Amino acid sequence: MTTIKKLVSLSCLPILLIGCGSQSEMPSKADEFLSDPIAVQRGRSIFVGTCAGYCHKLTPEPTDAVYLFDCEWKHGGTDQQIFNTVTNGVPDTRMIAFGSNFPEGEDDLWKVIAFLKSNRTECA
Amino acid sequence: MSNYGKIFFIVLYALFAYSCTPAEQEANPTLSEIPESAPTFNADDVGEALEITTTHWTNERPIGDGEGPVTDEMLLEPQSAAAGRNWIQFGGDYSNNRHSPIEQLSVENVDNLKFEWGFPSGTLGQFSVSPLVYDGIMYVTTSYNRLMALDARTGQMYWRYDHQQPEDLRLCCGPANRGASIHGDKIFMATLDSRIMAFDRFSGEKLWDSEIIEYFRGFSATSAPLIVKDLAIIGVGGGEFGIRGFFDAYNINTGERVWRHYTVPAEGEPGYETWSGNSYETGGAPAWTIGTYDAELNLVYWTTGNPSPDWNGDARLGDNLFSDSVLAINPDTGERVWYYQFTPHDVWDYDGNSHLFQADIVEDGETTKALVQANRNGFFYAINRTNGEFIRATSYMEQLNWADSMEPNGRPVVNPDAMPNEEPTFRVCPGIFGGMNGAVSGSLNPELGLAFIPVIESCQLMQKGISMHVEGQLFFGGLPIPVDLEPDEDGNWAAYGHISAVDYSTGDIAWRYHDPQPMMAGTLSTAGGLVFTGSQTGHAIGLDAETGEVVWRKRLGGGVRSQPIAYELDGEAYVAIASGNFQSIAGLAGGDVSIPEGGQLYVFKLDN
Repeated sequence: MTTIKKLVSLSCLPILLIGCGSQSEMPSKADEFLSDPIAVQRGRSIFVGTCAGYCHKLTPEPTDAVYLFDCEWKHGGTDQQIFNTVTNGVPDTRMIAFGSNFPEGEDDLWKVIAFLKSNRTECA
Repeated sequence: MSNYGKIFFIVLYALFAYSCTPAEQEANPTLSEIPESAPTFNADDVGEALEITTTHWTNERPIGDGEGPVTDEMLLEPQSAAAGRNWIQFGGDYSNNRHSPIEQLSVENVDNLKFEWGFPSGTLGQFSVSPLVYDGIMYVTTSYNRLMALDARTGQMYWRYDHQQPEDLRLCCGPANRGASIHGDKIFMATLDSRIMAFDRFSGEKLWDSEIIEYFRGFSATSAPLIVKDLAIIGVGGGEFGIRGFFDAYNINTGERVWRHYTVPAEGEPGYETWSGNSYETGGAPAWTIGTYDAELNLVYWTTGNPSPDWNGDARLGDNLFSDSVLAINPDTGERVWYYQFTPHDVWDYDGNSHLFQADIVEDGETTKALVQANRNGFFYAINRTNGEFIRATSYMEQLNWADSMEPNGRPVVNPDAMPNEEPTFRVCPGIFGGMNGAVSGSLNPELGLAFIPVIESCQLMQKGISMHVEGQLFFGGLPIPVDLEPDEDGNWAAYGHISAVDYSTGDIAWRYHDPQPMMAGTLSTAGGLVFTGSQTGHAIGLDAETGEVVWRKRLGGGVRSQPIAYELDGEAYVAIASGNFQSIAGLAGGDVSIPEGGQLYVFKLDN
């Protein structure tokens, strides 16, 4: 078990570095929505209605729900990487591809990402 | 069984060969002499070396007491006709009353009910089983669909089948299975990956295996099938995935599907008009718990769950038939004869799938053949099972506020404050688990006129959000926010539970047994005047059926989520109850998540 923990820690490190390090480097459409409270609220509503019931949570919990308001990203933490993960899914996991199913198209997903960013812990 | 021995010796030999090479045997170094670079033997290696790849152990020896095949007549008999010897249906018999006729076990001698044998599930997740006992053999299912045949007297295992699950199961609420069913010399089990299969009850050989539907579209099956004539009837889960719900009938000899009954109407069918837009296509209304059968009326009664998405009904305006309903079905055709809807346009996840009882209600000198049910929405219902007419509904909860009252026709009057919204502040009672949850069974004592209901008192805020349907993806439209999980200054949590004894003719509460955590195990009633259940604190509990007083209590360890049964062999009385919790759901309801998971079946015997 110790070996596994070490491996997980080591494998997380580059993800954290890549995810957090690049967030401020590549402005995205989510950044445009960040200054629009109505857009952020819509992102929150979608997150609450679609993401936060089981797989993700609004607050950290001792379950297997992946918490998205910290700096730990398994599949890349830049806005574009998050966009791609949600759109394409992650094979062999519960994270199914949402494709282009958002009610108001891609903007809805960018608003969700804006909501995540608006509540995210500052990354070191 | 002999495979066990072979594997054991192969593994032992491999370990010996690995750890004791000739060179090492010649010069066995002391610990201090082992260089740091020497290979070490860690726990991961042990786990790998001991991995058992066999998943099906069959039996070739003669087993059983020679009682012969289970016949239609046996299934039709009330359980009392078998004098309590066997337990051959999930609900004891078709009445679904889970009332054992065993009289020798009573309030006076229950102290002599002692541990006899135990058996592990080997799996995590809730051990929800209601075992079957027939011919001296117990058939047990576990979480993740292990199926085992055990000697009901000693616990010796005869055969075992471990169903191999895909890794991307679509489960809302844990890897539960609540039991198998039996007919002829076959045992039937439905699986989490939406299959139904039959086994030879002596050998454990699989006889047929049919796919109900592609699981990855959001479906699962957790219930024991209901056997009616030559049909095995099974419904699906998936109300949190935006499925279109249904239950099926399969030929018990061939595994071929005979009929499918959709619980959400298609365009043009009666009830279609109760769904706005095309919301019926993802309307949910799963059928995930077992039904019951009245042979005299030739009606199968089946319940349905919540409409999808759970907490946002804006896109599915209307009553959303036939969600949260009980349906009466002709088993010969699969066609609906009548229905009654408990919670029209549900936006609280108040599945109508709680345990159904058949009971005769006597009122003003007239006897009515009724269905009674402690619904997840907090009301105890009585419905005429001949024609579906509403008789009455009364609260069995200590906290119920989502409805203000009940109209004379059985339609609840909704409290507008309880509607989910984006910034909820109103504590809605009951919370999403109920009331009584369909994952557990109740029991009913017809001599006392009481139904024994396990109750969850755990309220929540109901937050509404925007949802979109992607097949196979969760489709919630919001979420529940637990507010009863913080301990008060005395260390007591706001969430708690009770067993309520409900006079099913009037809805009056005769007594309540209170427990510090929500009650999430089934109950068993016995003719000797006892009620058995289990708690999330890990106890098996025996209550006086007339008073609710605790008369027997044993610590099992794991939180109890199973359905206890009783049986009699060689004139001796046994009670079986499994422990093993699923922490995610238990924690959300208010159970103790610090107790480890892991299933164990316990069998107690009356020491005469």
